[in-house]
Amino acid sequence: MLRVDDVEVRFGGVQALKGVSLEVPDAALVGLIGPNGAGKTTLFNVITGLEKPSRGRVLMADQDVTSLPPHQRARRGLGRTFQRIEVFSSLTVHENVLAAAEARRSWGKDEPEPARSASELLERVGLRDVEHERVDKLPTGLLRLVEVARALASRPRLLLLDEPGSGLSTHESEALGDLLVDLVRDGRSILLVEHDVELVMRVCQQIHVLDFGSIIATGTPDEVQRDPAVQAAYLGTSAA
Amino acid sequence: MTTFLALSITGLVVGCIYALTACGLVVTYTTSGVFNFAHGAIGMVAAFTYWQLSVGWGWPAPLAFLAVLLVLAPLFGAVVERVLIRPLYGAPIGVTLVATLGLLVTLLGVGFLVWPPDTTRVLPKFFEGHTITVFSLVVDYNQLLVIVTSVAVAVGLRLFFSRTRLGIAMRAVVDDPELAALAGTKPERVSQLSWAMGASLAALAGVLLAPLQTLNVTELTLLVINGYAAAMAGRLRNLPATVAGALVIGVSSSLVLGYAGPQVVNYVRPAIPMILLFIAVLFLKQERLRAGSLAGLRMPRTTGLRQSVGVGVVFVVVAGVVSGQLSPAHLAIGSQGLVLAFVMLSLVLLSGYGGQVSLCQLTFAGLGAYAMGKTGGGALGLLAAIALPAAAGALVALTVVRLRGLFLALATLAFAQAMDQIFFNNALGYGGTLAIPRPRLPFVDTADDQVYFVLLAVVLAVGSVGLLVLRRRAFGRRLIALNDSPAASATMGVSPVRTRLVVFTLSSAVAGLGGALLGGLHGSVSPNDFLLLNSCVLLLLATLGGLYTPTGAFLAAMSYALFPELQKLVPELGQVQFLLTGLGVLALGRNRYGVGGQLADAGEKLRALRLQRVGVARAAG
Repeated sequence: MLRVDDVEVRFGGVQALKGVSLEVPDAALVGLIGPNGAGKTTLFNVITGLEKPSRGRVLMADQDVTSLPPHQRARRGLGRTFQRIEVFSSLTVHENVLAAAEARRSWGKDEPEPARSASELLERVGLRDVEHERVDKLPTGLLRLVEVARALASRPRLLLLDEPGSGLSTHESEALGDLLVDLVRDGRSILLVEHDVELVMRVCQQIHVLDFGSIIATGTPDEVQRDPAVQAAYLGTSAA
Repeated sequence: MTTFLALSITGLVVGCIYALTACGLVVTYTTSGVFNFAHGAIGMVAAFTYWQLSVGWGWPAPLAFLAVLLVLAPLFGAVVERVLIRPLYGAPIGVTLVATLGLLVTLLGVGFLVWPPDTTRVLPKFFEGHTITVFSLVVDYNQLLVIVTSVAVAVGLRLFFSRTRLGIAMRAVVDDPELAALAGTKPERVSQLSWAMGASLAALAGVLLAPLQTLNVTELTLLVINGYAAAMAGRLRNLPATVAGALVIGVSSSLVLGYAGPQVVNYVRPAIPMILLFIAVLFLKQERLRAGSLAGLRMPRTTGLRQSVGVGVVFVVVAGVVSGQLSPAHLAIGSQGLVLAFVMLSLVLLSGYGGQVSLCQLTFAGLGAYAMGKTGGGALGLLAAIALPAAAGALVALTVVRLRGLFLALATLAFAQAMDQIFFNNALGYGGTLAIPRPRLPFVDTADDQVYFVLLAVVLAVGSVGLLVLRRRAFGRRLIALNDSPAASATMGVSPVRTRLVVFTLSSAVAGLGGALLGGLHGSVSPNDFLLLNSCVLLLLATLGGLYTPTGAFLAAMSYALFPELQKLVPELGQVQFLLTGLGVLALGRNRYGVGGQLADAGEKLRALRLQRVGVARAAG
């Protein structure tokens, strides 16, 4: 579904990503973890087209999308949420999701009725009770769910989630995990950035670990947990 | 060859003055991050102050010169920074833009108040009568002074920023204010200093420019604004490129004066700096979409369809009843307010919902009036009054739509000013007028002023309800979404450029229709009806009224229409619309939602209270 090929990003003299390559297969839930500042969000920005890489390519369904602007990548089936929340603060919860469903209808074919699909999505992420509230009245955790619902309203084939679980209660986080598993079962691919390691280990089939702009480990949850380089990156001991 | 050299020297002198004003802008902008739209007006007030001291009160010229440049101007800049700018750091561009535009029109108001235009004021040239001859070319001392001063300032600034501790600290603040603060620099102090320096440079430009022509409040302000193009040549950062840009503008304008035909000299030459400004803005790279740049705005809740239609009907009925009671003079004021409110709806759409700044809405209104006048009215005229500005709007949008914030404001400013000079002065004639017929309708005598008043009320009501309907539909949501978070909108497949193009075109069409109706109200229009500075006043008033609601547009337009009446009451207040608007903005500009927003908020609270009461009553029952 997604292939990132040798991507490099520089901010002035700082190399934020150093030749990162990874793949997200069809209908797979892949985790991307790493300490703060490792470059996870930068990689998301490169994949969605908000950041231009100084080297490397991004391929979706085997097609090179590196030179496409963000909205065209979205139309090819790419959706995302943001680590720093980007909801539409003047709109209600329902309108936030509705706007995305309407946008999808304007460029998609045979779309379902936007208002109904927005309500269904809100039901699915558990926000039906607050759908007519303005989003600026909601706590952060719920805003992340608004973003998830909004991203789903574009009916993406590949979903990039940037810390959707932060700010959620244990119960909510479990429900989120179940939702993600469901989505993948429906045929979507998900790349998940998450600090809640428990959640990542529970739901992801494969995990990439990013540290200082490089992938230092890739494997199943068990393999990654046992990897000495990963332990070093997280615990700060020498990898040698 | 001698002519060429003489023209080049004249151009060089003007270019040097542009360089001074542009350097002032760049210094303030790079250090404080705020583009000072009032820069030109500061130069104007400084020139008048210099006239007051030296000619009016008979101070020796050098003393007056030093007092203005080294004491009054820097003091003014420092005070402006402390009072107006400092509370706005980190505020979105829309807010700082409105604040400095507010300062611009306030200073214009002060200029008209203190130095009424009924007296001719002339500043003698420096070293009047002294000349030197270089290669058979006569250069007067005044020209020489300008060139020498400019070179000295350019070199001085360069040394200041590269060699002195303070200059380096200023550059550090630009790069990272927080880091600079950790290193012991006080960012506020540095920024205040930059405003003092900027004001001083604006003053120097104004004082040097003034002897080259008669003192005129608007002309002097606009001339200094020409320097903005040079500042853009240096992308608001690079001082050497800024100076080079200024010289190119000065010399090319002067050469055109010498060699081009009279048409070009009259209409195109005054617009050259603005054309260059427009071009410089076009060469800017497209701004990247950024995540994490939320506007943090909270627009008032929109009223439901039934409620807004109800209000619209009541509005029209009240207008019908009131129209019978009003004297012809009051009817004219009311009609003016109604039609301007309609023009301002275009700003609610573009700036309020779409988040785009435009300083050229009256230009589109003018195009609408022009189309109506040229086609002779009727249905075809109305159609043309919508189509021509829409087409022009689309064309402008195609070139500027990738810009946002400050650069969009500068591009629309350049467009408005260039259109004033090239198109309206040419098509309508300097001081000329174009007859504009009123639209003809079956069974309605639009020639009757009372009927026209009611018709305008109907048009405004329909326009407002239409706008609210649009806001509640998919396109409205898309606009608000794009305004709230461009990055998130793009990642759900919305093309930011296309959406902005559509809204810009639509808003130009609304402004154009309003312009045609405005022309019909007065029976004619002149170039003075669509001036850039009036567009600025319109934007500011709309901001004061509240950019997010038709109510705000109505309140703003009514106050604009009442200005001439106020003027009659207090003729000594000069151009009262500038002073009052400016002071209003300076006082209230920090409230982004304006008066209309406050009303909407109050309505919201009442609604909540009522719901609560109903709830309590039910619980009790």
